[in-house]
Amino acid sequence: MSKYAIASWKSVSRRRLLGLLAAQLVAPVLAGKARAASMDEIKKRGLIVATEDDFRPFEFVKDGAPTGFDNEMLADLRKYATFEIKQQILPWTGILAGVSTGKYDVAITAAIITKERKKSLDFTSPIADATHYYVKRKGDSSIMSVKDLNGKTVGVQAGSALLARLPELATMLEKTGGRLGKVVEYTSYPEAYQDLALGRVDYVVNTVINLNALVAEKPAVFELGQAVSGKSFPAWAVAKGNKDLLDYLNGFIAKQKENGRFAELQKKWFGKSFPDLPVAFEPEF
Amino acid sequence: MTASDIIAILQGAVVTVTLSLVGILIGLPIGLGLALLRWGNVPVLAPIVAVYVSMLRATPLVTLLLLLFFALPNIGIEIDPIAAAILALVMNTAAFNCEVWRAALMNFPKDQFEAAQSVGMRAAQRFRRIVLPQIVRVSLPGLVNEMSLLIKVTPVLAVVGVVDITRAAVRIGAETYEPLPPFLVAVALYAPIVFFLVSLQRWIERRQAAAEAAA
Repeated sequence: MSKYAIASWKSVSRRRLLGLLAAQLVAPVLAGKARAASMDEIKKRGLIVATEDDFRPFEFVKDGAPTGFDNEMLADLRKYATFEIKQQILPWTGILAGVSTGKYDVAITAAIITKERKKSLDFTSPIADATHYYVKRKGDSSIMSVKDLNGKTVGVQAGSALLARLPELATMLEKTGGRLGKVVEYTSYPEAYQDLALGRVDYVVNTVINLNALVAEKPAVFELGQAVSGKSFPAWAVAKGNKDLLDYLNGFIAKQKENGRFAELQKKWFGKSFPDLPVAFEPEF
Repeated sequence: MTASDIIAILQGAVVTVTLSLVGILIGLPIGLGLALLRWGNVPVLAPIVAVYVSMLRATPLVTLLLLLFFALPNIGIEIDPIAAAILALVMNTAAFNCEVWRAALMNFPKDQFEAAQSVGMRAAQRFRRIVLPQIVRVSLPGLVNEMSLLIKVTPVLAVVGVVDITRAAVRIGAETYEPLPPFLVAVALYAPIVFFLVSLQRWIERRQAAAEAAA
């Protein structure tokens, strides 16, 4: 930045000065490439784990304490690990970005494995079967099966794998001569369910696990529909290429499977266990 | 909603009030300092302040916060959620406060300034005794307006994991699948916080008016 530009500030392009300043601010940020912590570093400073706070039954906060499937797994991981584990609880919005930039080492949440996410993240062994289903208002006789979803308004979480795989449902509908209706995106599912109850959307698409938990809690309001996607698996996410940590976590999950704890927690939180989960999953979508 | 849910929202209220207060208390003097740099046309610094204010006023708080939280570690600065939240609030509110203060300074009557000079007051004394009391009074409504806006943007801080009133309410809604009751409690909590702020403004204004009548 020349002295001249500052001295004659009012006459010289303000925009250029702004741009220069912005560039100086941003350049080092972009230059400093995000780097995942190695296993050695993690053993020294502890493992930084990010979990969600409103994703029942995987993670949620009850009476001020985090609970749910992933939080119980995390409690077991604390006993299993020889190093310290630091937990950060935050909304979905910041989680995957935080993992890919190295702010957190792992997202212990139900992140559905997708092709798009595989570009910047690596995933552990799946923790559940999360085929996508739809849920409707209890007693809504206009929706009896998937083909009745033709033209109806759907609620789904913004930036979610559920949203990314709606084209699959569109293909299913086209086969029966229908089409996908208006899509309403929500920042999180509780709002989508509320709008479904209020009649602002006709159905909501989420994983069968989340919807089972919802219907079990509010059987008078909601009713589970049918599958609207092929196989879909959620898993924990680490930064792309952090193989050591991935192997470590997969080792932990394998041990949990072996000693029966995995099935026990699945039964407790999802209503059933999934004994045939793959160890690794390559997504088609 | 259970009693512990109400307590969780009240804890969120403590976070909202604390972060807002810290943001306001740090942002006010910084805003004044920035305004003085521009008012005094301090070489080099004044244009930098102008650019800073333009940039910050054009940046949404949530964007600024995510930038600070995720980008600073890339250049070797570790920052925790609370620190990032306070930094973002202060950076944001200082820019807006600067403009409120600056408007008051620009309208400050030159003759008073010269009168103070003619009786031999030094710069610091002039500012403390003559300028500051008057610009505080002029700026107060604008500053309180900015403060109440600041309180109401605090839910944005939730993106990095800060649990304020709104986030506490969201969590309860997510657990019970009934978001309406916690949100009603949340709304009922924001109102008295802002009302308190406005009452404080009224009280200061009344006191000033009384002091003037007495003089």
